[in-house]
Amino acid sequence: MIRAALAPVAFAVVLLLAVVGVVVVPIALTLPTPGAAIATFLFGPAGDLRHLGNVVETATPLMFTGLAVSLMFSAGMFNLGAEGAFFLGGVAASYATVALPLPPWLPSWLFAPWAVLFGAACGSVVCLIPGLLRARFGASELVSSLMLNYAALYLGLFVVNYLIRDPTAGAMVSYKFPLAARLPRLVTGTHIHSGTLIALFACALGAVWLFRTRWGYTARLVGANARFARHLGLSATLIAAGVQALGGLIAAAGGAIEVQGLYMRFTWESLPGQGWNGLVVAILAGNNPALVPPAAFALSWLQIGGDLLARNFSVPAEVVGLVEALVILLATAGAVVRNPALLARLRGRREVVAA
Amino acid sequence: MTWNDVVLHLGGLSFLGATLRVTTPILLAALGALISDRAGVINIAVEGTMLVGAFAGVVFSAWTGSAWLGLLGAIMAGVAVGGVLAFAVHVLRADLILSGVAINIAAASGTVLLLFALTGDKGMSGALPSKVLPNLDLPLGAGGLGAVLGHQHVLTWAAFMLVPLLSVLLRRTPFGLRLRAVGEAPDAAAAAGVRVVRVQVAALLLSGALAAMGGAFLSMGYVTWFTGGISAGRGYIAIAAEVMGGGTAFGTAIAAVVLGAADALATSLQGLGLPSELMQTVPYLVPVVALVLHAARPGFRRRRYVT
Repeated sequence: MIRAALAPVAFAVVLLLAVVGVVVVPIALTLPTPGAAIATFLFGPAGDLRHLGNVVETATPLMFTGLAVSLMFSAGMFNLGAEGAFFLGGVAASYATVALPLPPWLPSWLFAPWAVLFGAACGSVVCLIPGLLRARFGASELVSSLMLNYAALYLGLFVVNYLIRDPTAGAMVSYKFPLAARLPRLVTGTHIHSGTLIALFACALGAVWLFRTRWGYTARLVGANARFARHLGLSATLIAAGVQALGGLIAAAGGAIEVQGLYMRFTWESLPGQGWNGLVVAILAGNNPALVPPAAFALSWLQIGGDLLARNFSVPAEVVGLVEALVILLATAGAVVRNPALLARLRGRREVVAA
Repeated sequence: MTWNDVVLHLGGLSFLGATLRVTTPILLAALGALISDRAGVINIAVEGTMLVGAFAGVVFSAWTGSAWLGLLGAIMAGVAVGGVLAFAVHVLRADLILSGVAINIAAASGTVLLLFALTGDKGMSGALPSKVLPNLDLPLGAGGLGAVLGHQHVLTWAAFMLVPLLSVLLRRTPFGLRLRAVGEAPDAAAAAGVRVVRVQVAALLLSGALAAMGGAFLSMGYVTWFTGGISAGRGYIAIAAEVMGGGTAFGTAIAAVVLGAADALATSLQGLGLPSELMQTVPYLVPVVALVLHAARPGFRRRRYVT
């Protein structure tokens, strides 16, 4: 039983190691010191407290977008709007911190949550609209979410450039965030902030919601078989669209928390790619919110390893992109995932193989 | 610039030229998306294929010293990317959309990695002596329409000539019939003796070639260098154009021109002092609106595939 439950985890670990071997080893062999490069990539993130801190910081946005994508996919919509929602969430939260102060009779500790909520509400639109258009008109949520990602990018850049840009700074960045809007740091010597705890809590809550509540059950039912759900009298399209809104809220909150947790100003000038990373996390986790944190930490570990590789060995950190691409390909490949021999071995029992 | 100037400009020939220039890469990639979609394997990887095409065009033209061999290299690279997607879908049995996304991610990072390996620069290909594909100079007269149409990029001409060619291919040839049959009802096509896998692989290879031509236009015409992310979402706009076009070559071309004009308009309106960022959202919002209008039309889905 335990072995069967751990099978997806074991599969993900084996897959990650194999992909890293296929991508990183040949590149390392072109360097004068291949062994040192591979060691840096694999074990560098554990090298000292600062690097371990980097792993935790980088895993935090991955947990949010990974959770968001997991939920949206669970409800059966191919919504790729997490990328734009994350970006717009960061922009809107920055706008709130700079331009929308709380009324003075409210306690100042409410300021940071207020900005996060504002960012989440604004950013969620990027996921909500494709869901609604699909539910109401049957328009492809895949195409409209891809389009809205870019629309969100330019809308966000407009807000930064025209509404909250600091003219005294050299680049296109916002005014400095007030101290009250920044999330508290947790561990001295690192940048780990309270957003990490929120992310872990959100994943736990997401797992309970998806697997232990009535609404989560209906969402999975709609995702698994929308026609069956409709025959039961459920409003399949509205349930699916509602989950898209929820996913958008989570992804956008991730963007807001990233900005308020790590930065003093808003500085992004292009889409940060966390929506796509979240897709990789969701695939690794098999759309299971409980497995999102380990998947996010694994991917974050690789990203920090890639950064260290770039810093010490003149190999661009883009190597990690190739790793991600192969993970997506192989983890969704029926020939690999549903390979009867592999499944039997992972589950620890012999299965009758129907050729 | 005043509103009056803008209206004059929109009716003018320079706007037509700008629209043709902006439309070219979108149209080529959209035709690539079209042929894959009609075969039932919509190619989300056109975005990454454009990047690969743009990169391969620069590298091969710098290496061979010939712009035409550069274009050939770009097309071959695009075919290779289409082959990777076909391999992923038919051999690995991976999800079509996710494989496309994976290829887009791999193309974005892979081109930067190779650029760094070749030039030591992650940013742009300025160090490579790459060539540019020429304009097609036709003796259409010195003024008016002839002045614009007489000096368009060779790939702009190629893109618009491919529209009727592709239309004939899809609607009037045995291959086109098989391709559409595979896209509409793969089981029925297989029962009728059509080799479904073979047709879909061919469609994906062609789709890769077309998208890579669009990419080559970007780095060997629109500008004269390669930078990371040079496709900038044009592949996704192309997919939107294909969906808007309702599954025909001419419909796709009209949609691509509309989106290209929206893009060119966004650039022109910046002259009025309108915020350029807001204008840049227009080419991405138009497809969403068009998608809704199309999808809301009753019977659109059914009518689309009736021949």
